[in-house]
Amino acid sequence: MDNRLPLVDIMEEGTHRRHDDIGSFEYTYKAEIMNIYPMTASEKLYQIQIIEPDRRNRFSFQPGQFVMLEIPGVGEAPFSISSSPIRHGFVELCIRNVGNLTGFLARMQRGAQIGIRGPFGTQFPVGEMEGSDVLLVAGGLGIVPLRSAILTVLENRSRYGSVDIVYGAKTPSELLFTYQYEMWRKFDINLSIIVETPDDEWKGPTGFLTRILEDRVAQAGANFAANTYAIVCGPPVMFKHVCGMLTKAGIPMQKMFVSLERRMHCGRGKCCRCNIGSTYTCLKGPVFDYWSIMNLKEAI
Amino acid sequence: MIFKVFGKKELPRLFDVIAVNRVVGPVQKGTDKNGSPLHTFGEVRDFAELSLDYKTTILSAKRFVLPFHETLCTFRVTENGWEKDVDFNVRGPTVFFGLHACDINAFNRLDKVLMESVYPTPYYASKRKNMFIIGTNCEPQPYCFCRSMGTDTALHGFDLFLTDIGDRYFAEVQSATAYNFLLQIKTADPKEKDHQRYMDVVAEKNKKFTAHVDNTDLTKILDMEFQSQAWKEWGDKCLSCGTCANVCPTCYCYGVEETVDMNATGARKIKSLHSCNLIDFAEVAGGHNFRPERHSRLKYRYYHKHRGFVEAFEESLCVGCGRCGEACLADITVPEVIASVRGEGH
Amino acid sequence: MTQERTYLGVPLHKPKVAFFELSSCEGCQLQIVNNEATLLDFLSLVEIVNFREAMTERSNDYEIAFVEGSVTRADEITRLTEIRRNAAVLVALGSCACFGGVNQLKNRFHDIAWVKKEVYGKHPVETEAEAKPLEAFVRVDLKIFGCPIKKEEVEKIVTNVALGRPVQHPKFPVCMECKANENICLFDLGEPCLGPVTRAGCDSWCPNSRMGCWGCRGPADDANVEQLRNIAKKHGISAEAMLDRLECFGGFASHVDEIRGKAKAKKTASAAKGGVNPPSSPLGKGRRR
Repeated sequence: MDNRLPLVDIMEEGTHRRHDDIGSFEYTYKAEIMNIYPMTASEKLYQIQIIEPDRRNRFSFQPGQFVMLEIPGVGEAPFSISSSPIRHGFVELCIRNVGNLTGFLARMQRGAQIGIRGPFGTQFPVGEMEGSDVLLVAGGLGIVPLRSAILTVLENRSRYGSVDIVYGAKTPSELLFTYQYEMWRKFDINLSIIVETPDDEWKGPTGFLTRILEDRVAQAGANFAANTYAIVCGPPVMFKHVCGMLTKAGIPMQKMFVSLERRMHCGRGKCCRCNIGSTYTCLKGPVFDYWSIMNLKEAI
Repeated sequence: MIFKVFGKKELPRLFDVIAVNRVVGPVQKGTDKNGSPLHTFGEVRDFAELSLDYKTTILSAKRFVLPFHETLCTFRVTENGWEKDVDFNVRGPTVFFGLHACDINAFNRLDKVLMESVYPTPYYASKRKNMFIIGTNCEPQPYCFCRSMGTDTALHGFDLFLTDIGDRYFAEVQSATAYNFLLQIKTADPKEKDHQRYMDVVAEKNKKFTAHVDNTDLTKILDMEFQSQAWKEWGDKCLSCGTCANVCPTCYCYGVEETVDMNATGARKIKSLHSCNLIDFAEVAGGHNFRPERHSRLKYRYYHKHRGFVEAFEESLCVGCGRCGEACLADITVPEVIASVRGEGH
Repeated sequence: MTQERTYLGVPLHKPKVAFFELSSCEGCQLQIVNNEATLLDFLSLVEIVNFREAMTERSNDYEIAFVEGSVTRADEITRLTEIRRNAAVLVALGSCACFGGVNQLKNRFHDIAWVKKEVYGKHPVETEAEAKPLEAFVRVDLKIFGCPIKKEEVEKIVTNVALGRPVQHPKFPVCMECKANENICLFDLGEPCLGPVTRAGCDSWCPNSRMGCWGCRGPADDANVEQLRNIAKKHGISAEAMLDRLECFGGFASHVDEIRGKAKAKKTASAAKGGVNPPSSPLGKGRRR
């Protein structure tokens, strides 16, 4: 009798429920850097296109989601998508040069071949927000994930009530997407920009962005909270202040959304590196409503 | 389930029947300073190499499915781009001869997140699907708290489970393959007295557990005691060395490193098991560390095992094998940590 | 003219490198020459202009200087300062260069004349009272730890330098690698080991051969040295034996200072209470400062 056990090939084995998932675990779309736009001293906007037309056409995402960007041999890391989901065929990633992967990326040229996986994660509830007033708050690099939501709201401007964008940065030279502010304002959007430390040419307000928010809340009065959705993106320390303030102003926790950042290696709930307490940021996030955040120890 | 009994002399014969395949089992690795044997799981070619009377192993059998280091893929890099070659690194069917119930349950729990969840991990699944498991009963040790974790018996996840009932083995047969193997040795259907003897052995075993963990409301208690001083005290003791995760049969957290070959025409992506106790576990590019303190990292190990996994899968990720406490130089043990967080005796 | 090599469109930098040695056994440099299998690939990444152990040509035109050894003589300070002036990047190669290495063991003896006599007898050499790491005199851009260095690690570092990637050392201790290598814990064998506090990266070289770690790579980030000393005590390993290990390569110098400082304070306190001082010996008198 042949007692040798048969070799089970999971890719061929019919019993496995999710062929596509198992096959795609290590599947990285080959992608090309189409354009690179320098934005500040340390940030560039990369326009990235999946090379294979079929894959490119099937790729779609929602605002708030992220992709894993891979440079073979250099590394892989998660990046929020900054472009509008309606603009099919490419993604825009705004990336600061801070480390190994981003440092190498900053030296890559147009036409270079990289890889992307995704999209991963939860989204900003842009559909659910229709019919309501919208308050979008970004501190520093928080504008990067938020821009996708901003563009979505702009493209469907008539579906939303009043739209406020409050954006704060450390210095004027660190402001991102400056070339788009005029265009945003044309869509009947109340865009307020504040910097902590002004330079000689800065004419706008200075201080923390909570200053503008407080004014805005006071100005709107009692009507403010009743029909408003808020999205808050920025450094963890900002969440506590801004979300706390907005909660006091009356915005329900479940109508306030934040986007969190953590270390990630898989994007699939396997490597555990993005765990907050016991919640995977890659699966249950990066977009959480404030109620969930309040229930996550150590989230902010 | 089908049950069989067979005499002890039949076991080597069963081994020989099976040994046309790659066999992994408990083997003696050495002796400690007191002369006690230290065991590990290793490849076995001869029945005599097996130490089926082993108490525990230094490392779990996890590494045969989740290697400490694994090449996820290699890249061929040209001037214009790259090609990726993926290999799930399967070494072929492997028989695990002599796993205890805790280790079988450990695989069952890993399956939940790595194989049965929304995104199965092919590297894990492809090795796991090529396992043939023979379980053996065990003797509770002072550090074993599997009974508290509901993992002192294995209900599934094995092909054959053998319980020593004195002069013979009581065999639970869970796969046709196992049944076919048994057809090649001398077995009998168990009689009433075999059933009785089996139940006596289990009852005897249950009396011997000395370590316990109180899991009552543990998920809530962990939240309530998030700021407990107990964490700080354990954190001060912790070496942040990652040993607990390395010996654990269910720790699966990992990191990925990519390297370019020296000739700059190839590259590889290597996954290495990590530990939530290591300082850079939650460190992000730019240097921010979400868990810079030892105690916060240690706490999250407990959070993941005893709270998060329970929330997601209705049972703890910890199987109570006690290896982490045994291996911890700082004597940090799960029963003691949980008792102290519950406010007992600390 | 050779065409410039690139990786995914990014030019590979081929730096001119030079190797130098101060007071050392030159074992680290030997490690680099040792890797015959990969030597050609290694040489394709760098242009070596100065390497006494491997070639006769010499040049002072280099970007990266790998300096092995500790500084124990006055003339070495001059040499090191000159190397620093020539090099854009100065790499401390091995434990001697990083921490003072085995050479700094002499620092714990007060009496340099006695040391000279013990070591060199009738053939004294010129030597400073203390052996010091490069950092005590010049800025060091990169450290490669180990006694000796691990060639695979140097190869990885040089590849990363060519690619313009930052060099990152493991932040965790040797235990991680030791467990992955399936070793029996040295403490289970009753032997002292600094693995739980020493920076990984050596692939647990010594424990793989059942030898306890001596900490040649210096402390891991957030090393809990105090706790390891408690553990050693519980395993019946004397505090002095642990201190010997911590002192061996100089990586744990600040820890040792703290421990010796504490011990001294304790001794002074117990002496004040009428305690008895152990007989004096050239050992254990505290590091000279």
